[in-house]
Amino acid sequence: MKISTRGRYGIRLLIDLAEHASEPHVALASIAERQNISARYLEQVAVILRRAGYIRSVKGASGGYTLARNPSDIVIGDALRELEGDMLIIDPLRPEEHENPLQKCVRRTVFDPLNERIAAVVDRLTLASMIGTVDPDESYMYFI
Amino acid sequence: MRISTRGKYSLEALLYLALLPEGSFASTRTISENTGISDGYLEQLFIPLKKAGIIRGIRGAQGGYLPGRPIAEITVGDILRAVEGSLEPVACLSSGTCPAESKCITRHTWTHLYQEISSFVDSMNLADLVKSYDSMAAGGFAI
Repeated sequence: MKISTRGRYGIRLLIDLAEHASEPHVALASIAERQNISARYLEQVAVILRRAGYIRSVKGASGGYTLARNPSDIVIGDALRELEGDMLIIDPLRPEEHENPLQKCVRRTVFDPLNERIAAVVDRLTLASMIGTVDPDESYMYFI
Repeated sequence: MRISTRGKYSLEALLYLALLPEGSFASTRTISENTGISDGYLEQLFIPLKKAGIIRGIRGAQGGYLPGRPIAEITVGDILRAVEGSLEPVACLSSGTCPAESKCITRHTWTHLYQEISSFVDSMNLADLVKSYDSMAAGGFAI
């Protein structure tokens, strides 16, 4: 029951771009270095985020990436769904799939509400709110 | 971010056992017939579930399995952790495992997600599932 590396790295890529929003664009290599992630892997993640319209690539020798949207318009749940495929705890029921009563009960009582709770957490968050906070308990704020 | 088949099947098998009259037990064959989960797979799942005290085995030719303690004391979280391991959505949450822990921005989000998942699965027990099953049955799904 894990968020994949792709999901975790994708969010870190978005955060890094948001933190360097004052620069016209950021080279993937420098993100890879700062985040300690392989540049090759980051490139794959960047492709997904670019296709989904979250980031834009800037061509050229000194090229790189920049956010395609305002950080306050990037909902973390949506970005995670692009990266992960979905954020569901269990495969959704296929239309032709038949469930016995036990399966139906477990799905309705456990899995459906759990999916809703997970969605509520990640859909409440935007990239802007995420970079605003490290640990609210310590009221430690990041200002960009 | 999936619960594995192990988790899903364990919950279904445990719900079946929880629905039995108190004190009665069922063989893996019977459980298999009623849940659609194969005997062999059930035997595999029952090893960690037995170890965690979630189910109890009755030996012998007429033996079988039953919940290991009162069903109100077996939570969904107990069952999932026994067969899935930790329910942390990312492996780096356990303190001290990540060198960037103090300055990681995503950590708070994953922690929050973990708390939400934990509090839900720990608040629901097998007696709740039985209640839910009974009300669904009363609402007309045929058994």
